Amino acid sequence: MLIQVLISGLVIGCVYGLIALGYSLIYKASGLMSFAQGDMLTLGAFLGYMFYGQLKLPFVVSLVCVMLCMFGLGQLLERGIIRVLLKNNVLPVYIVLATIAISYIIQNAAMMIWGTQTLTFPPIFGSSLVELFGVKVQPEAIFCIIMSVICMLFLHVFMKYTRFGTAMRAAAMDPTAARACGINTSFSTGVTWGLSAGVAALGGMLLGPIYGVFTMLGAIIGRKGFSSAVIGGFGNMYGAMLGGILLGLIETGTSAYVSSAYKDMISYSILLIFLFVKPTGIFNEQAITE
Amino acid sequence: MLKVNDVTLRFGGLTAVNHVSLELKEGTINGLIGPNGAGKTTFFNLISGVYTPNEGEVIFNGIKLNGKKCYEINRIGMSRTYQIINLFKKMSVVENVMVGLHPKLKSGFFSAIARTGSQKKEEEAAREKAYEWLDFVGLRSKALDPAGSLSYGEQRLLEIVRGLASNPKLILLDEPAAGMNSKEKEELDVILRKIQKLGVTILMIEHDMKLMMGITDYIFVLNYGKKLAEGTPVEIQNNPDVIAAYLGED
Amino acid sequence: MNKMKNLMNGKMVPKLLLAVILLLVPLLFQNFNYGLLICGFIAVYVIAISGLDLVFGYCGQISMGHAAFFAIGAYGSAIMHKYLHIPALLTMIIASVAAALIGALLAYPASKLVFHFLSLATVAFGEIVYQLAAQSPGGITGNFTGFYTESINLFGFQINTNTRFYYFALVCVVIFLSAKHRLVHSREGRAFLAIRENAHAADGMGINVRKYKVMAFATSAFYTAIAGGMYVHFVKFISPETVSNKQSVMFLTMLLFGGTSSLAGPVLGAASVLLLNEGLRFAERYQMLIYGVLLLAAILLMPGGIYGVIQKGQQKLRRVK
Repeated sequence: MLIQVLISGLVIGCVYGLIALGYSLIYKASGLMSFAQGDMLTLGAFLGYMFYGQLKLPFVVSLVCVMLCMFGLGQLLERGIIRVLLKNNVLPVYIVLATIAISYIIQNAAMMIWGTQTLTFPPIFGSSLVELFGVKVQPEAIFCIIMSVICMLFLHVFMKYTRFGTAMRAAAMDPTAARACGINTSFSTGVTWGLSAGVAALGGMLLGPIYGVFTMLGAIIGRKGFSSAVIGGFGNMYGAMLGGILLGLIETGTSAYVSSAYKDMISYSILLIFLFVKPTGIFNEQAITE
Repeated sequence: MLKVNDVTLRFGGLTAVNHVSLELKEGTINGLIGPNGAGKTTFFNLISGVYTPNEGEVIFNGIKLNGKKCYEINRIGMSRTYQIINLFKKMSVVENVMVGLHPKLKSGFFSAIARTGSQKKEEEAAREKAYEWLDFVGLRSKALDPAGSLSYGEQRLLEIVRGLASNPKLILLDEPAAGMNSKEKEELDVILRKIQKLGVTILMIEHDMKLMMGITDYIFVLNYGKKLAEGTPVEIQNNPDVIAAYLGED
Repeated sequence: MNKMKNLMNGKMVPKLLLAVILLLVPLLFQNFNYGLLICGFIAVYVIAISGLDLVFGYCGQISMGHAAFFAIGAYGSAIMHKYLHIPALLTMIIASVAAALIGALLAYPASKLVFHFLSLATVAFGEIVYQLAAQSPGGITGNFTGFYTESINLFGFQINTNTRFYYFALVCVVIFLSAKHRLVHSREGRAFLAIRENAHAADGMGINVRKYKVMAFATSAFYTAIAGGMYVHFVKFISPETVSNKQSVMFLTMLLFGGTSSLAGPVLGAASVLLLNEGLRFAERYQMLIYGVLLLAAILLMPGGIYGVIQKGQQKLRRVK
């Protein structure tokens, strides 16, 4: 029982973490918040279903295709809407609201294209279960955890050791100074939104085989991702991942040992408590209060 | 009236204000000068409650201000303007002044909704008072325009009367002449003397030395967060340390 | 005397005309009861959105969980009416006062958060209340099945037809809109605006920013809760579906589409969005798509909403004259 709870907690927690990672990237790069991250995950899952399930491409090829598509969509979103609003000197609140509008538009578009039924994402490793610590688990669950960790490490290396990553961090810290150093900040902001969408899509591809694919898949995960990001410290990449895993464990633990009815209530209460008592999160990320 | 005792303010490892003491005499016009980055605005923020000093104390009319919030300090009788104009841009000019009157008005939430007789009277009186303040700087004709539509110099003047509306005993002016043309600066000079006649003590930051030397009674010089010198304008002009600091900048 | 003079000047004429039209609406819809039903709903939403406007339009504080206050008003009133046998109008008021207190309790710690995180806090609050409605302790809210209640009994007079509710709602709208008008044109209203425009300067001018943020939030919660109470005793039923985060987004859509910080904006917004909703009944499944598109259109193309467009038109006309 305990190991099963731990594994399913880690699976959903890692996905929360991936979504929260996207929030942190966007917040660091543009000081904004996107409520459409969860729907990027949904879209990723649907596109994965299309490439892998319908077009029968190999999984790795599908994954790359999906992430590229979503990378493009994320950039398009930033360029087509967010940047236009910024140029119009719209209040930041309105930009956040615009992302909510986009979130609903994506949800409904997905509903129009793929319908309201839950689609079955074909398994990645055949249908057999593997045994781990004496418990039978879906290999996709293990895969989800491993891939999330790899993604996290990749982003870490990318941000820390590549020229582009340094430029992005500089642009996030002080856009004016970065521009003065010859960094193309608008380019790096666009890439950040693209990256966030790509990471969310990866989450969708990983969750799809486990949960199935449906239009509201990402909506709740998107909101839980906010809890994860705040718990870890909004804007902190490691905090995002840690917060996600913690939240995933707490949620599955509550479902398993208390009642699944209180699962959502508890994660939102944690979000409120963190915002009010420790808004800087576990990693003490400044920038959240006035 | 204002007594600053050996205050220090640090941001992390950086000391922005370093053991500064000064005292203002009631009814005087005082200047605060210093090269760019000397910590003048930070010092204003320190007195007006935006920051709390790490060491030392700020005493205003016998009341210790350390740890008090900005709005509480305003109510004790200290008002201010800002280096970067901080008007309520979409509100009308007269409403900006009426916001300045806020601490002097008494009616509350329920009397506003019930629109009681006393609330109505108070509102009318406040509006009249606000128009009087606009007369003080010659902005009555623009009373109903949005504050954001005023010229730069007019916005500076509006900030000053907005600050004066609460009848402070001390007003901190952060570069009131910045962005003004020479005619507006002459007007400002007259207005500053009128403020002094109201019995309001002034402490102002200003880069325009001609204005500063002409109008102030006393000047304090900050450099690298430390007090470099203080004295009458004549003394400051002849102080070798001050000259060196300014020459060093150029 | 003064009013007579205004009447002569013609200032009162449009107002009177509007009053007459509003009073005659039931006659207009004599053979179209459905129309009156929609008018009743518009009135309910006008009050809810006007409340949201106080906190968002005037005070500049985002709330993305206002459906929670709608829920507290609706469920609170219905539950008190059923179990404590208190008359329905009184329960509405008690529930709304409770909503205002809860709003204040939420706003007090939330007032130090910058807007992004305020939006998160309000989303979380909205979700918590939704969860409480959907999976309540002891099933007191009827959970997913919903909760049934009765119409308002005003000293023996049942407000149980669309016409009666229309007049009742009209009275409520007049009361709440005039209260809002008075509030925003007072010392308090100026403090709200000052905080929206520049919180630092407001602080420097002696305004206790936290106090007024809490005040705006509590008042706003009261308005939306009253609307919730009106809704529940009109429809005689409430279910979690009505108080989900979609409802909160609909509130914001109505407000932004109609135009913020005005009396007319929420009215225009509630009316146009609801009418559009009715017109697009056949596409009910895509309701949220419509809200999404409206919201985005309002933000991208007309930041002042419908009312902003009208105002600009009037200004142009004046300039031409």
